[in-house]
Amino acid sequence: MNAATVEFGLPVEIGRIDKELGRLWEESGDTKTRASLINLAIYTESAESMAANTELIASIAGEHACRALLILANPAAAQDSAKAWINAHCFPAGKGDRQICSEQITFQLDGEAAMALPNLVFSHLDSDLPLCVWWQAEFRKLADERLWQWVDRLIYDSREWTDPSEQFERVREIAACDAGRRITLCDLNWARLLSTRFAMAQFFDNATAICLLEKIHKVRLEYGPGFRTSALLLLGWFASRLGWKFQPMLGNAFFVSRKGVQVQVELAETEGGCVSLCRFDHDSATIEFRREKGSEYFHASLRGEGLPEISQLLPGGREKITDTLLSELSRGGRHPQYVEAFEVVRPLFQSSDR
Amino acid sequence: MPEPCSIVIFGATGDLTHRKLVPALYNLAANGSLPASVSVVGFARRDKTDEIFRRELEEAAQKFSRQKLNPELWEHFASSIFYHRSEFDKAEGYDALAKRLDELDAQRGTRGNRLFYLSVAPDQFPIILEHLRKSGLNQARKGSWTRVIVEKPFGIDLPTAVELNSLVDEAFRESDTYRIDHYLGKETAQNIMVLRFANSLFETMWNAKHIDHVQITASEPLGVEGRAGYYDKSGAIRDMVQNHLLQLLCLTAMEPPSDLSADAIRDEKVKVLKSLRPIEGADVRKYVVRAQYSAGAVNGKRVPAYRDEQNVPPESATETYVALQVNIDNWRWAGVPFFVRVGKRLPKAATEIAIHFKSVPPVLFRNSGDVLDDNVLVIRIQPDEGISLRMCAKKPGSSLRIEPVKMDFHYGTSFGKATPEAYERLLLDAMSGDATLFARRDEVEEAWKFIDAIRADWDKGDEGLAFYSAGSWGPTEADDLIQRHGATWRRL
Repeated sequence: MNAATVEFGLPVEIGRIDKELGRLWEESGDTKTRASLINLAIYTESAESMAANTELIASIAGEHACRALLILANPAAAQDSAKAWINAHCFPAGKGDRQICSEQITFQLDGEAAMALPNLVFSHLDSDLPLCVWWQAEFRKLADERLWQWVDRLIYDSREWTDPSEQFERVREIAACDAGRRITLCDLNWARLLSTRFAMAQFFDNATAICLLEKIHKVRLEYGPGFRTSALLLLGWFASRLGWKFQPMLGNAFFVSRKGVQVQVELAETEGGCVSLCRFDHDSATIEFRREKGSEYFHASLRGEGLPEISQLLPGGREKITDTLLSELSRGGRHPQYVEAFEVVRPLFQSSDR
Repeated sequence: MPEPCSIVIFGATGDLTHRKLVPALYNLAANGSLPASVSVVGFARRDKTDEIFRRELEEAAQKFSRQKLNPELWEHFASSIFYHRSEFDKAEGYDALAKRLDELDAQRGTRGNRLFYLSVAPDQFPIILEHLRKSGLNQARKGSWTRVIVEKPFGIDLPTAVELNSLVDEAFRESDTYRIDHYLGKETAQNIMVLRFANSLFETMWNAKHIDHVQITASEPLGVEGRAGYYDKSGAIRDMVQNHLLQLLCLTAMEPPSDLSADAIRDEKVKVLKSLRPIEGADVRKYVVRAQYSAGAVNGKRVPAYRDEQNVPPESATETYVALQVNIDNWRWAGVPFFVRVGKRLPKAATEIAIHFKSVPPVLFRNSGDVLDDNVLVIRIQPDEGISLRMCAKKPGSSLRIEPVKMDFHYGTSFGKATPEAYERLLLDAMSGDATLFARRDEVEEAWKFIDAIRADWDKGDEGLAFYSAGSWGPTEADDLIQRHGATWRRL
């Protein structure tokens, strides 16, 4: 990897990071104020993502003052090495010259150094503030299992997993470890569906629509390229909320509702964003959530014999990863339905799913 | 401003003089806190002139002084520095010193006031003290004063501490004896009393009713750094816990003194030490974890195991890390454990006291799904001296989400000037005759009594010595120790 091509800031010895940060602020005068509400660590094994990650941190810092730790790791490197850089992201605070600044410490860790995050990286946290770690790599068995005891919020994107079922198992192991009692799992793939789930829940609050829930016999989901797992998670959420059980039979997968109704599932990749269509078929009615490419809204509708037609425009949220992360950090809290939703559709995940 | 005096430093060619004492005196001079006529006399065995000694100290001060050297001021300050060559065990050296000090009194107006600083290995203490006594240098003349500053370690156990104290006692009155513990000279250590007793907010909650536990940590990334000879005999518990950490514990746990006089404060600290529940026998394994670092990497650099360090015996069982649960059996602290940990070759340098308050009853927020973080008040002793308070706050938005936030006070930025080094304050206090920040004889002996009980169990064998990789946060056994209380060590 050639990290030197990316602008990381001022190179510093790892043992002098705190002192150098202190000096940075001393030299910056009275107009800049350091602020922090969280520690945000981003772990990546891709040198190519570093510039984008730095940009992302700058965007996040504008709304969530933080101590950012960007880690570029190469555990497979033959030689052990650890390097660090510091910089700051500053934003105007109201009128006048005052600026609020977030610190970023960038680490490049090779070989064994990449396995020693608690020692090398997490000793530079802003103590007493939550540590959110966005793990942008595959979860592996780690040399230091105590790593996860440091983490309050583990962020990942199951959309990027090559083997979702196996990776989900790893995540569950992490959540089940001793200190896991406080770790919050945050799958960005789940978080990006937040507005979609809100839209659906809101629509089904309608007295006519809610009556149809129990007799849905078919679900069709259309998703954009690379968003199959997102569509599956949405299906998992719906199924888990309604108590549907997955039934694999003769190569034909379907769900069975609490009342014994078979629910067929169709998944189709189309042009468009994350989830562009979600249609529920009932004997006498169809409920549809459609989102045009580039739109931030769902057009939701209910049509059926003898039923009043309902049409609503519902916010679908933004799809950029920065927006998803910002929304997740603003929202906070746990995701009590996530694991259940994942479990329901877990058999539908294949190692090639993306 | 203290009275003019002559400061005689025994062991003047040593590290402490170069790194701490002379830079501290220079900074006092730079701040106008040092009487202009003070003389500094270095007493050591090596042969050198005043000029050479001054030049060496100038180089050291340039490197270690917190304020940049002003050539004009240094020249003036250096003219007050003198070198006195002598063996520590030669009576004539002390007679010559007495004569030289008299001459300096006459030349510089130091009024016969003497401050002797023993910056030497502990085995030299008896010899120097005996010669000070025999030469009469320990005796103050009418209208003058004579004091002695003793550097740690004050013995290696209770019997040796008693012996050393008796030796000091033969030469100097207790009120003229200043046992230095540089942790007490740090601004934040001094601020503990102000924080507790000058703010009604905290002291009313400073007890078992509101506090769940206290964590006192001193971590450092350094290894033995050429001190293996001393350290291997001492270990972390003698080197750090017996003195610095128990002093911090005392300041945190003591009752309000009746006034701010040295003895009133030290009386309260002694009461805390006397209230410590002894850890002996089988309890040692239960309440104390001792460990030694194995090879690893600190800040990305590979470092050897303790046993592979130069001058460390390959079978050494000396602990480089200690974690212990200290229980204070008094009304204020019954049921509140104090978790103390100290270690070498840990990832970062940090010393702090963290007061963990009890959890709130969950009735109001149990449905939010958030785990509420307890309030924590942190007193950072070093580096970045300051105080922070963690509390819970509602995240903006329509739903009830709770996140911890932190109020942080930094000495450096809040008061707009660099905090003085501990030695500046301590030297100034010793010159002024204020012993508040120095350990009294009974404090030292009570602390040893507590430590000796633990050591007695360790001395039975090496069993129970755990290992941790250099550069890690210590052994898993230490995590287990604190987890038994339902807590975890703080992320520093």
